[in-house]
Amino acid sequence: MKITKLGEFEELVLLTVAALQQEAYGVEIKRELESRLGEKLSVGSIQSALKRMEEKGFLTSEFGDATAKRGGKRKRIYATTSYARKVLAEMREVRAGLWEAIPQLSHDLKTI
Amino acid sequence: MTTQPNDIHPPKWPLRLLRYFLKKQYLEEIEGDMEECFRDNLEEFSPAKARRLYVWETVKLLRPALLKNLEVFRNLNQAAMFKNYFKISMRNMMKSPLNAFINVFGLSAAIGICVFAFAFGRWTFSRDQFHEHKHEVFLATFFADRDGSVQQFGRTPRPLGEMLRHDFAHIKKVCRLDDRSVVVKHDDNVFHERVRFVDPEFLDMFTFPLKWGTPGSLADVNSIVLSEEAAIKYFGETNPLGQNMVVIFGKDVNKAFKVTGVAAKFPESRSFDFDFLVNFENLKTAEPGYDMQDWKAFVNATFIQLDNPADVALLRQGMEKYRRQQNEAVQKEWAITAFGLEPLATLHETSEDIRDDISHSSKNNYASIVYMAVIALAMLLLACFNYINIAIVSAAKRLKEIGIRKSIGAARSLVIVQFLTENVFITAFALVVGVALGMFLFIPWFESLFDFSMGFRLNDPKLWIYLPAILLFTGITSGLYPAFYISKFQVVSILKGSVKFGQSNPLTKGLLVFQLILACVLVTGGITFTRNSDFLAKRSWGYEPARVVYAEVPDGAAFEQLNAALLQNPSVVSIAGSAHQLGKRHTTTVLHMPDREYEVEHYAVDANYFETMGLPFEAGRGFHHEEGSDKQSVVVNELMVKNMAWRDPIGQTFKIDTMQYEVVGVLKNFHSYSFFRPLRPTIFSVAPKTDFHYVSIKAQQGSELQTLKALQGQWAKLFPETPFQGGHQEDVWGLYFQEIGIHGKVWRAFATIAVLLAGLGLYGLITLNVAGRAKEFSIRKVLGAGAKNITVKIADQYVILFAVALALGAPVSYVLMKMVMDTAYAVHMPIDYSSVTIAVIILIFVLLATVATQIRKVVKGSPVQGLKTE
Repeated sequence: MKITKLGEFEELVLLTVAALQQEAYGVEIKRELESRLGEKLSVGSIQSALKRMEEKGFLTSEFGDATAKRGGKRKRIYATTSYARKVLAEMREVRAGLWEAIPQLSHDLKTI
Repeated sequence: MTTQPNDIHPPKWPLRLLRYFLKKQYLEEIEGDMEECFRDNLEEFSPAKARRLYVWETVKLLRPALLKNLEVFRNLNQAAMFKNYFKISMRNMMKSPLNAFINVFGLSAAIGICVFAFAFGRWTFSRDQFHEHKHEVFLATFFADRDGSVQQFGRTPRPLGEMLRHDFAHIKKVCRLDDRSVVVKHDDNVFHERVRFVDPEFLDMFTFPLKWGTPGSLADVNSIVLSEEAAIKYFGETNPLGQNMVVIFGKDVNKAFKVTGVAAKFPESRSFDFDFLVNFENLKTAEPGYDMQDWKAFVNATFIQLDNPADVALLRQGMEKYRRQQNEAVQKEWAITAFGLEPLATLHETSEDIRDDISHSSKNNYASIVYMAVIALAMLLLACFNYINIAIVSAAKRLKEIGIRKSIGAARSLVIVQFLTENVFITAFALVVGVALGMFLFIPWFESLFDFSMGFRLNDPKLWIYLPAILLFTGITSGLYPAFYISKFQVVSILKGSVKFGQSNPLTKGLLVFQLILACVLVTGGITFTRNSDFLAKRSWGYEPARVVYAEVPDGAAFEQLNAALLQNPSVVSIAGSAHQLGKRHTTTVLHMPDREYEVEHYAVDANYFETMGLPFEAGRGFHHEEGSDKQSVVVNELMVKNMAWRDPIGQTFKIDTMQYEVVGVLKNFHSYSFFRPLRPTIFSVAPKTDFHYVSIKAQQGSELQTLKALQGQWAKLFPETPFQGGHQEDVWGLYFQEIGIHGKVWRAFATIAVLLAGLGLYGLITLNVAGRAKEFSIRKVLGAGAKNITVKIADQYVILFAVALALGAPVSYVLMKMVMDTAYAVHMPIDYSSVTIAVIILIFVLLATVATQIRKVVKGSPVQGLKTE
């Protein structure tokens, strides 16, 4: 498969969806990523990443419940597909392999 | 959470935006997310900031992944088609570089002139608009009856300013202003200057910011404020604050001032400014007997500033009471009918009709703007017509392209779009070149001619309204017709080859005729103005200024000293003293006749004056030389006699003030000031010696320069303290001849561009026409047609066109030129058909030369080549 089909930001969003499980809807994903990355994200960037990945078959989604805070609008809960999990695992392996391949000499770089 | 802000809602309109642009199936989720984010933000930020963030987030939601497939965006997919149009446009331009050059050059020259006209208009209309209080400051004026018509005057009686300040609560500030000619001295720098006496409010009411110093310092009677120019003249680039300057107001009257301010460079477009400012109180020092309460005497201007400009009507009524006060003080003929107030914002326009006011009228410039707008439009039309003609004629070459486009599915509208795209492409290119031409060629050239700066800037917001307007106008005028015309042909007839056009389109002919008429008018203008400046340069002034040198003298005693010293000089023929001087200074006097009051130009002179200046007599005599004689005699000019309808002028009498005067001589008409000014009725009276302000010396033929040197030498010996002021009488008109020379230059430039444009357009047309008929001519040649025959075949249609165009153009040019000359000059050369004839000859020559190049090409060319072309 082509790893390059998944962008860096998309990968982060995908991982967040996987981590959040039942709570994985737009604003929650945004909050989680913001706290982990330590920077502000826009609704637009999260939403377009979600929609793109849904189209590529990394995500499925269904409507959840509505809350007053959302002005009575329903949430859309995202879930990762098995294909996405496979791709994520592959990417992790590729990364791990590459880390292994870095010579010991520059090991101290890793601690930075 | 501090409050439960249920009553705080996000703004509504971004939601509408989202509903319009986003895919339907995403809306519920995204709206919910946005609402939730808004609530989150409310806990952290103020409602206002939360709303701002909401709007910003909305804008950031407009991403391709989330958007609907709107019509607009589907059309963007045609980018490829537009790319193709551009490519074809470029290829076409490359294929016929001559036509591309004619189009681009013509349009850009015309647009350059438009930019230039814009810059001039901006310069004129921005006059005085830099004053912060321009709507609150008013110039006090008065109206008086002169010669049967009510006229407005810009001067005001001396006490008026103080009275206004005292009587009206809604007047915020008052500034009186008066001017005096003085000598200003700092170390070795001594010059004649004009000093402005103003109330300290001057620098608050008018926006002349200071480079150095404080505006408030003018309240001190010992301080002087300089313009930047004056500061550089006396002190160079260094900061002169605290330096001393001595102002010599008159004989033995002088005062030392301290420099407390230097103005920043004045804005380019202003109707008045200053060289030196001193406190108004100094008038009492300058003129020991100065009476502030004298209603009979005037100051040059009184300005007031109101809190509320709407109060001005009230104030005008309130000033009514001063009228009686004024009229009690002065004699009957100076009685005024009303006081008035003119706003500063429009003073540059109104001052045309205000006499003796300190501001310069810009009315001449308004006339020039009209001329320039007309010429710019004419040029633009010339260039557009070139474009239309060339587009129509060269369409023959592109018929196949259009046919194929149409047959593979292009609708007519798309062909129109294609041709308009091509047109916009060329026009936009021409616009860039044109702006560059205007900025770096036309404007600097014009500025260098008149030695001023229009302050043209590219970042002027109005320019960016103007340029797209030009683009639109040019695009529509030049592009629309060809686009519709070319796109209308049927595919079948194009591909069958049964369409024939481009050779005799009536519109093409009409446009060509119109172009030639325009060119004819402009060429006639160029010739007329050029000949006129020669005519005026040679025209006699009505007296003999060439042999006269003159100088200003402080008083009669000084004149006597100079007179005694110079009379022995062998190159001096005669010496005259006078209170006024032709071309330099006169006074305006009202004559009382039994049946009317009459205003004239008045010169007070001595008995030698007529002989010295070479003023020829029509009848009667000059003044007698004996001291005290002819005190009640006057000499008048021909125009005065004509206006009075005196059959026998000698012996006629009238009164000035209460004194009776009798006419003893009549002078032939002469021009005292430049030819711009119409002749005025003029009288000469005897000046008492004490009033002498000028010395005029007639020199031996050829020794004028020596005489001037001798005069200057004597001056330096007698009055080492005062700089010499004088020169050749021939120079008193200043830059007049230079200025009319410039008119000729400007018109010649316009005429050249017009001829160039019309010529290029014609050249393009004929070239295309001949190229399209290459086969026809080749066959004719093969069958034995000679050069004469070919010439007739090519030229016949054009010769008729030229004849029609010039037959129309010549009378139109004649009438227009007569009109322009009559409005532009008081005195000008007689307008006859000679200029028009020269213009027509020049045009015929250019046209025939253009046609001849193509005829030559056909005649010399090989018929085989012509037959081979496809």
